[in-house]
Amino acid sequence: MSKPTFLLQGTLDLLILTILALEPMHGWAIAHRIRQMSKDALQVGQSALYPALHKLEQQGWIKAEWKASDNNRRAKYYALTRAGRKALTKEAVQWERLSAAVSLIVRTT
Amino acid sequence: MSRWFLQLRLLLRSLFRGGQVQQDLDLEMQYHLERQIEEGLTSGLSAEEARYAALRALGAITQNKEACRDMRRVNWIEDLLQDLRHGARRLRNNPVFTVVAVLALALGIGANTAMFSVAYGILLRPLPYPGSDRVAVVFMRFFPRDFAFGTLCIRDYLMWKDNNHAFENPSLFRTLRMDIGGDEGVPEQVQGASVTAGFFPTLEVRPLIGRTFAPGEDKPATRSLAVLGESVWRRRFGASSTVLGKTILVNGAPSTVIGVMPGVFRFPRRDTEVWTNLPLNPPTRYGPWFYRGVGRLKPGVTLEQAQAEVNNIGLRMMQQNPYYKRLTLPVLQLREALLGTTLKPAILVLAGAVGLVLLIAVVNVANLMLARATVREREMALRLSLGAGRGRLVRQLLTESVLLAVLGGAVGLALAWGGIELIRVWNPGELPMIDSVRLDWSALGFMVLVSMLTGILFGLAPALHSVRTDLNATIKEGGRSGATSRTHGRTRSALVVSEIALSLLLLVGAGLLLRSFANLRRVTGGFSAEPKHILTMLISPANRKYTDARAGLAFYDEVLRRTRAVRGVEAADVSDSLPPDRQGDADTFQIEGQPLAPGELNPIISEPGVGPDFFRALGIPLIKGRFFDQHDTPDSRPVAIVSEGFVHRFFVNQEPLGQRIKQSGPGYGDKWMDIVGVVGNVKYLGLTVDTDPALYIPFAQSYGPLMFLVVRSSGDAAELAPALRQNIQSIDPGVTLAQIATMEQALDLSVSQPRFDTMLLSLFAGMALLLAAVGIYGLIAYSVAQRTHEIGVRMALGAAQADVVRMVVRQGASMAVAGIVLGLGGAFLLTRLLKAMLFGIGVADALTFVTAPLIIMLVVLAATFVPALRATRISPVVALRYE
Repeated sequence: MSKPTFLLQGTLDLLILTILALEPMHGWAIAHRIRQMSKDALQVGQSALYPALHKLEQQGWIKAEWKASDNNRRAKYYALTRAGRKALTKEAVQWERLSAAVSLIVRTT
Repeated sequence: MSRWFLQLRLLLRSLFRGGQVQQDLDLEMQYHLERQIEEGLTSGLSAEEARYAALRALGAITQNKEACRDMRRVNWIEDLLQDLRHGARRLRNNPVFTVVAVLALALGIGANTAMFSVAYGILLRPLPYPGSDRVAVVFMRFFPRDFAFGTLCIRDYLMWKDNNHAFENPSLFRTLRMDIGGDEGVPEQVQGASVTAGFFPTLEVRPLIGRTFAPGEDKPATRSLAVLGESVWRRRFGASSTVLGKTILVNGAPSTVIGVMPGVFRFPRRDTEVWTNLPLNPPTRYGPWFYRGVGRLKPGVTLEQAQAEVNNIGLRMMQQNPYYKRLTLPVLQLREALLGTTLKPAILVLAGAVGLVLLIAVVNVANLMLARATVREREMALRLSLGAGRGRLVRQLLTESVLLAVLGGAVGLALAWGGIELIRVWNPGELPMIDSVRLDWSALGFMVLVSMLTGILFGLAPALHSVRTDLNATIKEGGRSGATSRTHGRTRSALVVSEIALSLLLLVGAGLLLRSFANLRRVTGGFSAEPKHILTMLISPANRKYTDARAGLAFYDEVLRRTRAVRGVEAADVSDSLPPDRQGDADTFQIEGQPLAPGELNPIISEPGVGPDFFRALGIPLIKGRFFDQHDTPDSRPVAIVSEGFVHRFFVNQEPLGQRIKQSGPGYGDKWMDIVGVVGNVKYLGLTVDTDPALYIPFAQSYGPLMFLVVRSSGDAAELAPALRQNIQSIDPGVTLAQIATMEQALDLSVSQPRFDTMLLSLFAGMALLLAAVGIYGLIAYSVAQRTHEIGVRMALGAAQADVVRMVVRQGASMAVAGIVLGLGGAFLLTRLLKAMLFGIGVADALTFVTAPLIIMLVVLAATFVPALRATRISPVVALRYE
């Protein structure tokens, strides 16, 4: 296993929102999906994931619901709220701008 | 919108369904763990390996959960609730400490809340008259009358009105007793006021029904109108609106009722119940000085500007009338005018005193907390070393002390409520605005604020002490108090010393007032009859036929004949003046053969009109000459009697008997009277007024219809009242009687304010003393308990019991001495504030300044003695076993 890549402040929120935009998901699945989609480059520890989830819920960007999971056990599913969708759009644009700017600098030097 | 709602719901859920939230979090973590294990299993690990791997990956579960809870942003509230629960538990576990502290605080906060209500109600609460800070009352002071807040005559008023620019509606009023009667019931005597048309508009209070006087209804020859107070309207007319337009008799004159004022309208006096219109008939002469002015300042005019203008008008009054000397026209704001000059400083002194009581209570509780803090030192040190934040610990300790203070405040509120009800019902000080003294939201707010502040005040020092602990030292010491406790001990001694000093301050203040009050009670009104045996009442023969002297004298002859026939009556007569403070007629005078320089005048003095038996009834001694007798009739030679004080002042080295004297105010004729007797001094202007020369004139030669009846009985005079009343009203049912009271009651009433001041300050000093005693007892008892080991060693080495007692008592005595020195210093500085409240002693009264420290010393020694005795019972064996 490669070392988990350092996540920029606020990036985790963006990742969670992006993934939840596809479908409602529980915490473990979110972590799993992040690892999968980043081809194991990003590993989100539970100690970061759950506080982030609870913070987003408290902010009103995602909401939680207890549902039966795929293997028929009850799990806490998170879904995007309308406010969360709006936030996602804004954060995504900002991320594009930031990453483009960072790449620009990294490449030219 | 929905987002805020969502957030609020989550917040509330976290707060009130904390268990549910916790459980959810557990389940969520559990689920995660299980999935992690499953993943391990599918990748080929054994069950146990998968489990360990998963737990490793999950990390510190508890910290994780805590982080989640933090994200929910409710931790500080939960902390507070936890601190409160913790605090409550600690208070419950130390019932003795809690009860003592709560009682001390309740005493302090309760007394302060009650005093606040009194001060707020009287000094601050808005008067029921809109914009009353713009309303001012105009008085007049001039020589020879020389009343600081005296009255004007109609001529003065007209001059003021004609030259006025500062006031909206300069008006005039006087207070007087009124007989009201009519077909609605038996006549009665009430307090009334006669007012000009601008009076009601100035005060801006709307009548309940009907109207008030219209402009012009104070012109000469206006018909008589009456506005009733709500109380008399309910009492006599059953609150019926048909009263409007009705004709009632006011002082015998038919008057039309035009309106009813609401009960809150209590001006010019608290007990005024009827207002009549005052017709401004063109005055033919100066006097009578019955009136005061009232007006509302025009917009933009200040009280100072109004005063300046009125001053100028005063100068003109003096130019026009040479009788006026040194004339000033004091203008007072309405509230100041209602309060009088003595009440405000007294209330401020009392409020300051009760503040000191609270301070002592706070010091006391701080001391108790410090003692406990010493015990908790190790707990705090342990928690600090385990990583608790100092701020967090201070917050917890402060939460505890504020909780304690609020408990004290709540109990104190009950005390305050009781105290205020007592003051209201009893009104010992005859406070003018007692109706607005009540426990309300402002008092409640005051109580909560003061409780919080006291909680922080007495909690802060112990809390800071606790967390400033040197961890190593405390934990190593293993429970025995060491360096930090010594600083605690010093702080605690300093606190007790300050408590003693503050108590001494209050005790000296109370002592001065007590001594002054005792002086006041020793002052006699100048009569020797037992006050309990004297009954007085104000008789008003309402019928207009009695304004004629002949009919009136006949009426009073009959009253006296029947009164003297009542069993138990020893002597009875009439007078228009009564000791100790009901001055009747007063005027300046002139003595034959003592010419005055041009423009010079004798002072105005009491000139009571009395019946011949007045002196005998009250026991006023005859110094020389004779009393009046039945031969002094309207037709005989005019005679007069003067008081001893009068002789000393105006007949220096002269024989007064046989001299001739006359009243010389404007409007009196040229009636020279022979002085036939000299009697002892009697006080008619209050017990505290020093010299009060008097010139007595026979009732028969100076008839007036409104007279006091003075009756001396062989027993309790109050019992005579029903029989006398029945007798008098059987002569004429239209006659009204009022102010029926014994001389004892009158004397009590005349010293009501000093009594109020003295009682309250003594009460506060008593509370302070009690609190200080508890404080010093607590400290000594605690230090004896701490020194058990040391004392045990001393006794084992042969110290006698007396040595131990001496050692402990010396500790208390040294604190007492320090406190007394400080307190005496403060007392010398602060008792000056009492100067105006004292009678017959100075602020540096030696007796008080010696007695008060002695009392403090005795109390301190008593409080020290109990723990000292306990120390002697320490068994060396037991004490040393602790090693």
